[in-house]
Amino acid sequence: MDNKGWSLKGSLLLLLLLVSDLLLCQSVASLPICPSGAVNCQVSLRDLFDRAVILSHYIHNLSSEMFNEFDKRYAQGRGFITKAINSCHTSSLSTPEDKEQAQQIHHEDLLNLILRVLRSWNDPLYHLVTEVRGMQEAPDAILSRAIEIEEQNRRLLEGMEKIVGQVHPGIRENEVYSVWSGLPSLQMADEDTRLFAFYNLLHCLRRDSHKIDNYLKLLKCRIVYDSNC
Amino acid sequence: MINDMCDSACAPEGPTGMDLWQLLLTLAVAGSGSAFSGSEDSSEKPKFTKCRSPELETFSCHWTDGVRHGLKNAGSVQLFYIRRSTQEWTQEWKECPDYVSAGENSCYFNSSYTSIWIPYCIKLTSNGGTVDQKCFSVEEIVQPDPPIGLNWTLLNISLTGIHADIQVRWEPPPNADVQKGWIVLKYELQYKEVNESQWKMMDPVLSTSVPVYSLRLDKEYEVRVRSRQRNSEKYGEFSEVLYVTLPQMSPFACEEDFQFPWFLIIIFGIFGLTMILFLFIFSKQQRIKMLILPPVPVPKIKGIDPDLLKEGKLEEVNTILAIHDNYKPEFYNDDSWVEFIELDIDDLDEKTEGSDTDRLLSNDHEKSLNILGAKDDDSGRTSCYEPDILETDFNASDVCDGTSEVAQPQRLKGEVDLLCLDQKNQNNSPSTDTTPTTQQPSIILAKENKPRPLLISGTESTQQAAHTQLSNPSSLANIDFYAQVSDITPAGSVVLSPGQKNKAGISPCDMPPEVASLCQANFIMDNAYFCEADAKKCITVAPHVEAESRVEPSFNQEDIYITTESLTTTAGQSGTTERAVSSEMPVPDYTSIHIIQSPRGLVLNATALPLPDKEFLSSCGYVSTDQLNKIMP
Repeated sequence: MDNKGWSLKGSLLLLLLLVSDLLLCQSVASLPICPSGAVNCQVSLRDLFDRAVILSHYIHNLSSEMFNEFDKRYAQGRGFITKAINSCHTSSLSTPEDKEQAQQIHHEDLLNLILRVLRSWNDPLYHLVTEVRGMQEAPDAILSRAIEIEEQNRRLLEGMEKIVGQVHPGIRENEVYSVWSGLPSLQMADEDTRLFAFYNLLHCLRRDSHKIDNYLKLLKCRIVYDSNC
Repeated sequence: MINDMCDSACAPEGPTGMDLWQLLLTLAVAGSGSAFSGSEDSSEKPKFTKCRSPELETFSCHWTDGVRHGLKNAGSVQLFYIRRSTQEWTQEWKECPDYVSAGENSCYFNSSYTSIWIPYCIKLTSNGGTVDQKCFSVEEIVQPDPPIGLNWTLLNISLTGIHADIQVRWEPPPNADVQKGWIVLKYELQYKEVNESQWKMMDPVLSTSVPVYSLRLDKEYEVRVRSRQRNSEKYGEFSEVLYVTLPQMSPFACEEDFQFPWFLIIIFGIFGLTMILFLFIFSKQQRIKMLILPPVPVPKIKGIDPDLLKEGKLEEVNTILAIHDNYKPEFYNDDSWVEFIELDIDDLDEKTEGSDTDRLLSNDHEKSLNILGAKDDDSGRTSCYEPDILETDFNASDVCDGTSEVAQPQRLKGEVDLLCLDQKNQNNSPSTDTTPTTQQPSIILAKENKPRPLLISGTESTQQAAHTQLSNPSSLANIDFYAQVSDITPAGSVVLSPGQKNKAGISPCDMPPEVASLCQANFIMDNAYFCEADAKKCITVAPHVEAESRVEPSFNQEDIYITTESLTTTAGQSGTTERAVSSEMPVPDYTSIHIIQSPRGLVLNATALPLPDKEFLSSCGYVSTDQLNKIMP
């Protein structure tokens, strides 16, 4: 009877460990795919895409929450939403805007586009973290998420570069990305203007993270599962 | 309004201020209610109700119809949209491409008009005037259609035949392109029993099939599923309800649910525990008894078995006691010769017929037995000149009494006299001229290693004049016993100790025989109370004693409570005292305590002292000069 109990306990513990692993390891990129420097390390494309999709989904969730949090706290009654149709800095990148366009584009191009968008967000995310910290009563919910997004974005970028290296090896394009010039707006003395700048940035972040998430899922189904998810 | 609120029982009253206030209140409530519900009847202009994209490819917007003022018709409401493309807002507002496909008061945007991640703004116009405006992005308004094709399969049935598990499967909404991964859906299943009202929800899943566990076989269930885009929070509509009818099992299946028999377990648990407890108690009864009622320790003497005492084996006890050197009472360590006599006040009545000496010497067993029966504690301490055996039980003391070697536990009262007798017997000195100093009682005591009956010792020596007296117990019976009270036992009895012979330089037994016969051992030189009778006895002897200067100084020394002048005055008196002495009657051996003067002294009353001069004898102890003057001429 003891053995039974122990085996049950052991299996429960194992299950718990597994579940916790799955839950905690949302960011697959935290697990080293290949140790840096290893040349012959080959992780399957499937695993790469799986991890990338998990990352992109996670980033999108965080940005959605961050936007909602900001909207709730700072943007009420300010009428930002009508004004927030300003362009995002990544709009200059010609990304597909609907399904047909996305299906027509070649996956290598799409991958490059994703890379560009991700690169474009490196700088704004860094500044976002700095500026949110400097906000009055720096809200922890927003700040923590901003920090997390910045880190995960970097990881996703690494993962995407690995995917590109596997899907489209050899060709390495120049690092093209959109320059973000919204920093002065974030540092404006006028609180209204500054808050609107934040609102806009977060709105754009949410949108772009959704876009990347969608592109990656599309690519995964197309490349890994041969359009049969 | 007031009539509506009021019952028919209300008394019809004229409009008062209160009624007006109520009217206003109801109007306000009604107005707000209509405002909350957003009902069409009261709003003036059309409003957008919802814009929705089911698959991230198309979207449609719905609005409420305009007011029913009767003048406006639905056609005048228009929707214009504008979408931002490549950072330009210069485009103009375009009208809705499809007012029909999505139903009434709606605008449908097909995939060509739909751009994801592009901001849209729509506005509703009525007769040229903008009535409502809204801005959004298509990815924000995704609400998938409900899944289709629900079905279920039986997984297994429990052994008891009461419960079963089923697997529910469905298809994603057809317009959602999950196959290409354009949209990823999450599903939520709800189920309930047919006659229930509350739906049970399961956790959202990504797959299109999910098991439902633990459904009862005799119940019918309803199942429905809804979906949402994985990234967003808004759920779509519910699917059609799926009815699950589980197969009926054989009739012998259990009717009732298996309820864990808590009640039985509790009962049996208590019963078992009680049984164990009882077993434990009965097996360890003795020990439990000892735990609950610890035995009171009986008084014991170290090294002596109380059984010995009970059985009366005095020899063994005495030997045991002899072995132990540490039986001296602590506070008389320096006084090795001190003997302890317990003065038994209660037994005075018994003594009326004779002195204690009679009993001791006459081997009066019955009386000794009485005495034995009267008291039975260890506080009585006597010794036979044996400093080592000072602290002995009464048995030993009785042995030392020497009346017989047979165990006669007896209180040794008036032991001093016997001590003297013993001493005399052993001294071999016919006269008291022999250095009494040398004749330390300690030595005598030391000699007295074994308890000897006085009689025997008496018979041994013939030299002592006291021998004659020994052999004549009756004469001894006349001798009064005086003792110094050395301690008062907690029991209330008085512990008497004989006076110090050492200090006096003369042992009371070293008095000249003729003197000793009368005053022997009664002269406790130091710290001694002298009864009148004693004093009288000594007075007769005094002339003889005077010859020996020892006597006088003995009287004069230390704490002699007979005033020296009294003694000296009485010393000259021989006649009267002689008379008094000669006419001495048997003096009671026990004296009552008159006054407790100090811890070391007592004024003793000689009771029933048939002496001629009772007045003189009434206050034994301090002999005042007046009293003495009375006696003496």
